[in-house]
Amino acid sequence: MCEEEILCLFPEKCRERWREVAGLKERLQEIRLRAGRPFMILADNREYFVDPRGRIVDRQVQAGSPTSEELEEILKHLCGYSLYAFADEIRQGFLTVQGGHRVGLAGQVILDDGGRIKNMKYIRYLNIRISHQIRGAADPLMPFLFENGHVLSTLLISPPGVGKTTLLRDLIRQVSEGTAYGPGVNVSVVDERSEIAGSYLGVARNDLGIRTDVLDGCPKAEGMMRLIRSMAPQVLAVDELGSIEDAQALQTANGCGCRLLATIHGGSLEEVKNKDYMRYIIKEGLFERYVVLGRVRGRCRMEDIYDGDGKPCIK
Amino acid sequence: MYKIAGVLFILAGCIGWGSGKIGQEKERIRHLKTLTYILGQMRGEISYGMSTLPEICLLLAELNDGCYEKCFRRIYERTQLERTAPFPEVWAAEIKSCLEGLPLKDDERRTMEELPKSLNFREEKGQAGRVGQAEAFLEDRYRQAEEACENRSKMIRSVSILTGLLLAIWLL
Repeated sequence: MCEEEILCLFPEKCRERWREVAGLKERLQEIRLRAGRPFMILADNREYFVDPRGRIVDRQVQAGSPTSEELEEILKHLCGYSLYAFADEIRQGFLTVQGGHRVGLAGQVILDDGGRIKNMKYIRYLNIRISHQIRGAADPLMPFLFENGHVLSTLLISPPGVGKTTLLRDLIRQVSEGTAYGPGVNVSVVDERSEIAGSYLGVARNDLGIRTDVLDGCPKAEGMMRLIRSMAPQVLAVDELGSIEDAQALQTANGCGCRLLATIHGGSLEEVKNKDYMRYIIKEGLFERYVVLGRVRGRCRMEDIYDGDGKPCIK
Repeated sequence: MYKIAGVLFILAGCIGWGSGKIGQEKERIRHLKTLTYILGQMRGEISYGMSTLPEICLLLAELNDGCYEKCFRRIYERTQLERTAPFPEVWAAEIKSCLEGLPLKDDERRTMEELPKSLNFREEKGQAGRVGQAEAFLEDRYRQAEEACENRSKMIRSVSILTGLLLAIWLL
């Protein structure tokens, strides 16, 4: 990722302020903007502040802060002055911008007559999560994910911000292109939030391998069914399982002979087992590998790998 | 002999001037039709394609030719690739320079230039509705101009011939 890509997240007039931050490149994880509150960034898993001149500082008192108008301007810029095109995402509280970077939003929610979220206004909190493509991130994992040349259905488990999506991205690439452990196979990806492929105008910005098809912006459950019917994948990949519909679609995909690569939020396998929608799936042994990830000194690390019965493969 | 040649030149000149005027009017109608079509495409892309405005400009560049192709491609490049200025500013500047030499009326030009003022609706219906208003205005102008064009053409043609004859008689 280059400095310019991070700078382009901001309108021209405030780019100078973010030049030093953008210089952190791969080390940069998050940029947090809150109206009237200090500019904060997360780099190497450590929190820093940014002063009004754009210098990275340790002390809060030195930090500058954005106004509500500046945040509005940044939001408009991120949406290409086309907020309508991101209405569904804004409703869900995030938007994914060019390059696959995810911007979390908070403000005042507008409800419809049925009490459902209709839209969001007065967006005063932005959390820009920088997307990374790290080639080789999945290398240490590969020996455990193949058996007799076939990829095993794998669930990556970690709390938010550890690097699940980065790992999944590289995993997809390697499975698609083939490795020393198995030949390349057709992989289909349901990229609901455009985070895995970072697609723009339908073309994946991140390298997901030569045998990968991407269904961009489609809800996971529906997307999985659609891809199974249309693209005949040998491996199906999805990010952040989070509902009973996702779990049901996984079961169907597994029944069609597809291997699965998926991620889920959780601190441990036990935590995931306790989720209602995952209990049955884990009991049925749908996944053959569970990889629990953690962060050590700012880096994503594999903490445990379990087989389908929940027995540790390695500790 | 010289007098006959002079009369013929004067007549030809006046008819030519008349044809130029008619051509200008037809050119205006053609541009109004194109602009209406462009706004219709924009509205459709907003409502059904849910594309962002820079993306729509890329599409418009591919679907149109001449000055419009250049203009929309430049808007796309400046807002999406170079990202050097906000979309409303780029739109206003590029559209202004594109429409500068065209035979359009001031309010027709302004409708296109000021379109970004009605941006930033958070749902597609509101956004498409605003673009639709501009489209309806230009379509109305297009219909009026087309209806008036036939009669106006006849009148301009007659006036130019008569002017030529009068001028010739007066000079003789």
